[in-house]
Amino acid sequence: MADVETRLVGCFQSVFPQLSEADIRIASQEKIEQWDSVAAITLVNVIEEEFNTQIDYDRLPELDTFGKVLEYLTVDRGID
Amino acid sequence: MRSTPRCLRIAPQQADGSRRKPTNITEALSILRSRNAGREPFNIVLACGFTPLHLKTLVQAYLQRALPDRDVELNTGLFGSLAETIADAALQRPHAVLVAFEWADLDPRLGYREAQAWGHKVSTSVVDVCREGLDRLVRSLEAVPATTKVAISTPTLSLPPVFNVPGWSSGVHELALEELVAAFAVRVSRMTNCAVVNQRWLAQHSPQTARHDAEADLRFGFPYSVSHASALADGLSRLAAPRAAKKGLITDLDDTLWHGLVGETGPEGISWDLASNQQLHGLYQSLLQALADAGVLLAIASKNDREVVDQALQRSDLRVAPTAIFPLEVHWQPKSASVARILDLWNISADAVVFVDDSPLELAEVSAAHPGIECIQFPQRDNTAGVKLLSYLRDLFARGEVSYEDSIRLDSIRSAAALRDDRAEGADQESLLAGLEATVEIDFRAGSSDRRAFELVNKTNQFNLNGRRFQEADWAATLGQAGAWLAVVSYKDKFGALGKIAVMQGRALQSGLYIDTWVMSCRAFSRRIEYAVLAELFRRYAPSEVVLDVAVTAKNGPLRTFVKSLTGTEPQGTCVTARERFDAACPTLYHRVILTGEAQDG
Repeated sequence: MADVETRLVGCFQSVFPQLSEADIRIASQEKIEQWDSVAAITLVNVIEEEFNTQIDYDRLPELDTFGKVLEYLTVDRGID
Repeated sequence: MRSTPRCLRIAPQQADGSRRKPTNITEALSILRSRNAGREPFNIVLACGFTPLHLKTLVQAYLQRALPDRDVELNTGLFGSLAETIADAALQRPHAVLVAFEWADLDPRLGYREAQAWGHKVSTSVVDVCREGLDRLVRSLEAVPATTKVAISTPTLSLPPVFNVPGWSSGVHELALEELVAAFAVRVSRMTNCAVVNQRWLAQHSPQTARHDAEADLRFGFPYSVSHASALADGLSRLAAPRAAKKGLITDLDDTLWHGLVGETGPEGISWDLASNQQLHGLYQSLLQALADAGVLLAIASKNDREVVDQALQRSDLRVAPTAIFPLEVHWQPKSASVARILDLWNISADAVVFVDDSPLELAEVSAAHPGIECIQFPQRDNTAGVKLLSYLRDLFARGEVSYEDSIRLDSIRSAAALRDDRAEGADQESLLAGLEATVEIDFRAGSSDRRAFELVNKTNQFNLNGRRFQEADWAATLGQAGAWLAVVSYKDKFGALGKIAVMQGRALQSGLYIDTWVMSCRAFSRRIEYAVLAELFRRYAPSEVVLDVAVTAKNGPLRTFVKSLTGTEPQGTCVTARERFDAACPTLYHRVILTGEAQDG
């Protein structure tokens, strides 16, 4: 879980390099101006590349915080 | 069972990680994140009819990788309006415009995002609409300034099932569309600033079946898989920022230029033809001749007896003319020493040269002694690897056009060698120069469209005022400055013509005469041409002093030695040379100087 979280922070840092690690862990689409629709798709691709998985695009609208993305990966996708 | 095609390549080491290939989004973002801000911008416009999404990131990353000294800035137009984006780009005058369009950008019926009629009732109209769309594209491309490079990708995706023919049949309408696109590609390729991505090259790097991402297309309007977007970005960026072509090839003989050991079998025992099943060597010879015809320098480094090699090179069925090869280093000394002498004679750096040999040991020995050189093993009994090698070599040396200077390069090196031999034999320097019958022609009419001048400015290292390189748009802007002038220098003497060998660019202002760019080909060294040109500038503009914008680079020692001869001090930064100082330092000049453009410029 800790490893998944660290790797996910790396994914967010790739797409939002201006955010600190602490900011990333509490990041949400509502608070981060740069987290627009294009950034969301880019983020999904980076996560897919990092974890070698496919994210269900239908779930995209609800994956709007770092915590929810982490939960999706660990619980729904079973990545540990 | 045949062996896996392989070909040992010892490529020059990259000092940093900037050359890694951004094959996915993570790598592309990493490249963009690690770029150094504050460098000179390289502005590109990406024009495409669909949402640019990952293509934008990947194109920017590939170009950033190709141009580590620039800050690549990318703008996209309003997608859905391709011709308008290109027209808008023409007004912005970027360094490059990259155009990627798909069938749906010509006619929405050829995409999946708009539910419209398909089938035989619309087939003819689809072709007509595409024809009009391509004509509009040509017109918008014609408006792009000639100094802006344009890289174009024609449709890469399969057509949706719009026509009533089975997928395994081309069908007349699909063929008509392909014919239209091919005609479009021919038209735009004839524009001096446009180049089109080769669809067969793209197919090697991106299989047709893995190109379309239906999910991304229908959800986000981005039709490409990441792998296809990466391959396309690679192709477009190669066209927008071409890498420097290699200049010289040094080849081994036995089991490389020909099959067999000439010292063992004699000249008649070696082979390179189909009948002896050694056609690969013959094809290699044909490629070398084609490269020589395009101005690439060829030399031989072989461990053999010279006499038997000379006999072999006289065989009439050889497909590369022995006269196209100079020099021949044929003896039993280490090949690294042969390569060193060849590089010295050619006067080019190792990183502009490729060494081909069948022996891994020889390749390793040369590579260790000359780390910049690209060493390639000639494959043995492996036609698949051999054919790949031929294409690879063509790509390393390919250049868009063959100039007059390319065609005379070998002759000028031979004449430089002859001059050097005369010097080595102790001939008096002044008598030698006085007897050269040298003519220096200075053309003040040349402009930014002079390809040779632009090429010289961007590839010359040793006699280079400051190492500054230009993109075409930058070069045109520089020559458009207030008081700007350009001098392109050609040279010939009794040994032959060297063609255009020097370029000087500067500004004539109230405050003085400024020289901002000055390069001279190393082939023209030791003839006092630099003094003759500077003397002419003093005569033409009559300044009391000339201001040289010198910058120290790793390779411009010869330029600094010259400037030091004028100023008496090691040049660093701006150097000023007064008229009196130049007159005192200038040696006797024997050239006949011809001026072009004198009358026009008064």
